[in-house]
Amino acid sequence: MSAIDVVRPQRSAIERYRRSLWLLTVRDLRVRYSTSALGYFWSILDPLVMAGIYWFVFTQVFHRSVGNEPYIVFLLSALLPWMWFNGAVSDSTRAYIREAKLIRSTKIPRTIWVVRLVLSKGIEFIASIPVLALFAIVTGAALNWEAVYFLLAIVMQALLTVGVGLIVAPLVIFFRDLERATKLALRFLFYASPIIYGVTDLPKSLHVLASFNPLVGILSMYRAAFFPDQLDLLTIAIGGGVTLVILAVGILIFTRTERAVLKEI
Amino acid sequence: MADPVIRVQGAGIRFKRNRRSRRSFKDLFAGRKRRARANEFWALRDVSFDVRQGEAIGVVGRNGQGKSTLLKLVAEVILPDEGSVSVHGGVAPLIEITGGFVDDLTVRENVFLTAGLHGMTKAEITARFDEIIEFAEIGDFLDTPYKHLSSGMKVRIAFAVISRLEEPIILVDEVLAVGDKGFREKCYQRIEELLAGGRTLFFVSHNEKDLRRFCTRGLYLDKGALVLDSSIDDVLERYNTDYGI
Repeated sequence: MSAIDVVRPQRSAIERYRRSLWLLTVRDLRVRYSTSALGYFWSILDPLVMAGIYWFVFTQVFHRSVGNEPYIVFLLSALLPWMWFNGAVSDSTRAYIREAKLIRSTKIPRTIWVVRLVLSKGIEFIASIPVLALFAIVTGAALNWEAVYFLLAIVMQALLTVGVGLIVAPLVIFFRDLERATKLALRFLFYASPIIYGVTDLPKSLHVLASFNPLVGILSMYRAAFFPDQLDLLTIAIGGGVTLVILAVGILIFTRTERAVLKEI
Repeated sequence: MADPVIRVQGAGIRFKRNRRSRRSFKDLFAGRKRRARANEFWALRDVSFDVRQGEAIGVVGRNGQGKSTLLKLVAEVILPDEGSVSVHGGVAPLIEITGGFVDDLTVRENVFLTAGLHGMTKAEITARFDEIIEFAEIGDFLDTPYKHLSSGMKVRIAFAVISRLEEPIILVDEVLAVGDKGFREKCYQRIEELLAGGRTLFFVSHNEKDLRRFCTRGLYLDKGALVLDSSIDDVLERYNTDYGI
């Protein structure tokens, strides 16, 4: 028995996970930008158009009684993170189906297929922050020290999105209807979360109930950078707890169904 | 004796007979230990064997007897429902080799992506890049999007990448049936080179000549069970008596 001529050092599992995740994320972004002429612009065009519509409807047509001034900054500070959540969750319904061939031929840890979607959409979100800054400067919105919550919000949103993705991705394989149900749920969630309105606009009786939607706490933290009155620590604490529960459920569902999913695709 | 590089112990895996059969939440979360239902069948059951470093193993059996499933279990792209499969060291799977390639990216980007996903660093890929391209005879198409390549070229570049992974275990699943004669011979020579370098080979084929050329040991699968584990000549002889040609 001859020895192997080249012995490659075995890298640690975490290191391999990180490298594979990064490769796939970069691939995602590269494919997206190499096949469309507008590239980066698309990731900001969508929230901009939506923000434009809401701004027009609420400040020009109706006489708005919700949200803070300047309303465009108020809108964008929640719309941009929402685009991240919305994009990653709706992509995760196809996480396995789109990559079936690759999943059948490589044995990298399967959670990567979900995490990379969250990461690539997250990078697009970060890349869209300058747009928010631009509008803040133009409208003269003041930045407060509460902007540090921005970082906590990003971490919490990443955990939440991964958790939801881990639940949705495997279940879609078995229940195809879930793909459309997810789209519907996302649309509902858009209006159920403080995006076009603020947490403080909710009736007092709904306040605690709304806190169980983790997006309420997360979006209020993003907004606190410009509108400190939106910050509500109880909401954030409850939302944080719910986020961890969703993540735990996601990990459980994902690991329990992994075997069946691999046979199915 | 060295420790086995592949150890398969009592491995079994079952599939649904009917894709559309009803599935309930309870089904999905039931533990792996539950018994098979009426509409399921065992594609493999009670398969046990050890493979030592440097062995060249040919898997023999008729269609649908679990050969490819066994290969996928060893590649760890599917997981057994009972028993265990443990593989020490990296695997270069020549199964669905074009799977990792992305249509919209160029050949160059695809080489880095696929080799990277199989665990190679950028420096390692760069060092082997010319060798890979030369092997695939594809030098003029480096910056062509992958989707514009002919199907033969696609397989050539994929084989070139996977066969340069420098992993200690190689799995081959009849991929070489494609490609022209000249390239197939080149692939075979590459596999022989790897074998001479001390790699472990796991080979699924229907071609007796190829099996005898590469393999020393044979595994004969029939109806999901491992019927015979012996030298390749014995295994082929038994196979021919059972299903005489």
